[in-house]
Amino acid sequence: MENCLGIIIGNGDKNFGALCKNRPVFMLPFGGRYRLIDFTLSNMVNHGIKTVAVYTGDKVRSTMDHLGNGRPWDLNRRFNGLFIFPPANGNELAPRLGDIAEFYSTMQFFEESREENVLLINPSYLGTVNLDEAYKHFNSTDADITILYKKQVDPWGEYINCDKIYLNNDGSVSAAGLNLATEKEFNMYIGMLIIKKKAFLDIIKSSMEKGDANYLKHAIMINKDKYNINSFEFKGHIENIRHTKAFYDANMNLLNRKIAHELFFDRGTVFTKSKDEPSTLYTDTSVVKNSLVANGCIIEGNVENSIIFRGVNVAKGAIIKNSILMQKSEVKDNAIVVNTIMDKYSIIGANVRIAGSSVMPYVVEKNQEIKEG
Amino acid sequence: MIENKVVAMLLAGGQGSRLKALTRKVAKPAVSFGGKYRIIDFALSNATNSGINDIGILTQYKPYLLNTHIGIGTAWDFDRNNGGLRVLPPFTSEDGGRWYTGTANAIFENIDYLDELNPNYVLILSGDHIYKMDYRKLLKAHQEKGADVTLAVMEVPWEEASRFGIVNVDKDNKIVEFDEKPKKPKNNMASMGIYIFSWKELRKYLVMDNKNKESENDFGKNVLPLMLSEGKKMYAWSFDGYWKDVGTVRSYWEANMDLLDPNNTLNIYDAGWRIFTRSKNLPPHYLGRSSVVKNSLINEGCLVMGEVTNSILFSEVEIEKGAKVNNSVILSNCIIKAGAEVNNAVLVEGVTIKEGEKIGEQGDGNIYLITDKGFTVE
Repeated sequence: MENCLGIIIGNGDKNFGALCKNRPVFMLPFGGRYRLIDFTLSNMVNHGIKTVAVYTGDKVRSTMDHLGNGRPWDLNRRFNGLFIFPPANGNELAPRLGDIAEFYSTMQFFEESREENVLLINPSYLGTVNLDEAYKHFNSTDADITILYKKQVDPWGEYINCDKIYLNNDGSVSAAGLNLATEKEFNMYIGMLIIKKKAFLDIIKSSMEKGDANYLKHAIMINKDKYNINSFEFKGHIENIRHTKAFYDANMNLLNRKIAHELFFDRGTVFTKSKDEPSTLYTDTSVVKNSLVANGCIIEGNVENSIIFRGVNVAKGAIIKNSILMQKSEVKDNAIVVNTIMDKYSIIGANVRIAGSSVMPYVVEKNQEIKEG
Repeated sequence: MIENKVVAMLLAGGQGSRLKALTRKVAKPAVSFGGKYRIIDFALSNATNSGINDIGILTQYKPYLLNTHIGIGTAWDFDRNNGGLRVLPPFTSEDGGRWYTGTANAIFENIDYLDELNPNYVLILSGDHIYKMDYRKLLKAHQEKGADVTLAVMEVPWEEASRFGIVNVDKDNKIVEFDEKPKKPKNNMASMGIYIFSWKELRKYLVMDNKNKESENDFGKNVLPLMLSEGKKMYAWSFDGYWKDVGTVRSYWEANMDLLDPNNTLNIYDAGWRIFTRSKNLPPHYLGRSSVVKNSLINEGCLVMGEVTNSILFSEVEIEKGAKVNNSVILSNCIIKAGAEVNNAVLVEGVTIKEGEKIGEQGDGNIYLITDKGFTVE
């Protein structure tokens, strides 16, 4: 993707409870050793994007710590590379909500960069989109904006409140709004769009000046008659990580080898910050079935249908089922953990039994220790 | 300013011919070890963890993979603006080109590098050893004795003593005699090939040794005996942790298996003394519904559907359903097909064991080294 800037900006974290107490959605640990943002960054880098800007939102710390100077993604460059934009507080923009003000406050970055197009991705949507094809479509149709979508079948209304777009027969976009689950199939916006930088900056300036939109997606619709806006359909598997349950399911889907292979290998290597953990040790007492296990763990107990992150300890006699155990969490002797998400550094004490339901996992907070009563 | 400046010189040019196919494509320091490491990672990580800023890596035998692995030293935090890591291969000059003829000659040839850094001390390390050592302790002992050179030594089994340089010391740990590979060792305190020199003294003796046409330019055979004969202050510093120089395929296999022993003293999980290595960025491994894994180390990117017992799987190894792996070391990218059985083996990188094939018997006492071209038995 020559001549294209990458922009990463997340969405609200209201639906994630304790999991997003101190981190934005795109920093959620995922797949045993990654954060959601790793997939977006790697996808961009693997498609040849050389300049990436990340808008961190308010909860900056975990993002700063994880991204550093961008080395794991080879974005530590003297020219271009990684730009991290924390929120612009304390200036005349402060009272304004939404991403328009964020983009406006970094106008200089856009104006000084040489790239003429912008690829915008929200890391909450996880899929191995072939960005080259989308970019080709964008360029060959001379579109001002190409919006990526998936035809989502949704008979049970599970995708309520997701972004919905309406298309004309020629693929141009006629309207966009919220899915209220009135149809069994709808065109779901998958958090990715490509836009000419000039159109992008014009829309932002116009919205700032007129004050008619706070969010880019509204601003695009307000100005839709001025631009050539078309669409690109993604037909593969996509995870729309919009609440705790969707996050849990997306992790569990990785136990499907086809989905895991697509996500981990099909669009090149997924890069993340290295933790220098040794290999995982399984002792004589371990019994592990259908699980994804990262390095640095010591597994002495039973693990089934679970995702085990780096540096986790599962002691003798413990039973882990249908659960996600994040980095450095620990389950002590004979404890039972079912349908649960254990956040980083959490501890389940010996003989404790905890369980969520299959429709809603139980969440153990970061650093929380649950001991036998 | 940094006082007591130490420069480490890491000898990484050895062939390790007794490791047979394991060193077919790489130098001994680049041989894979312990699930995800290469042997040289231990010395490099020790240097990082000991706070060493400058390190020269002396390469010679088949250096490509070693150079790729080390790069500019990023994994060990040696990619510095000021100092850091230098790879020092043999080179040509107005006197013609020449290989490093011995351990001391390799240092002598890079005297310009050391002169430029002008350290107080030079630490000589080998990239062939598996151990964790805080070199600051060795330096401290060296300083306390006001020594010209201090050797790290450790007790080895008597029957192996004649493989090593054996030191005889007085009550103060001052070395009175140095026997390189003696036929009849007087004791079992062996030199580990880890020396710290005061740079001024070392420089003098390197120059002297290089002028001697008879010399093999080796530290153990020539330089240390010469210094001792001239009455230089040579001390021994005892190390009592895990240390292994894997010379043969069997000892390579054993050293890997040591990591599975619950009582092993080389704790690779110690977060206070991490062993660093170049990251391959692979996803977590997957254990399938039919997998059985007992007492084994498994690295990232593996896919296990069969049975793995007392074994070490490196990255991206695939064990198909019904396959069995016992007491074996399986290097990266190997595939064990359905129904195959592998016992007491070392598989080099990228070997595929065919469906139903069987290697070894449990408890047959042999070690099988398997390559894509065949196998050897030890």
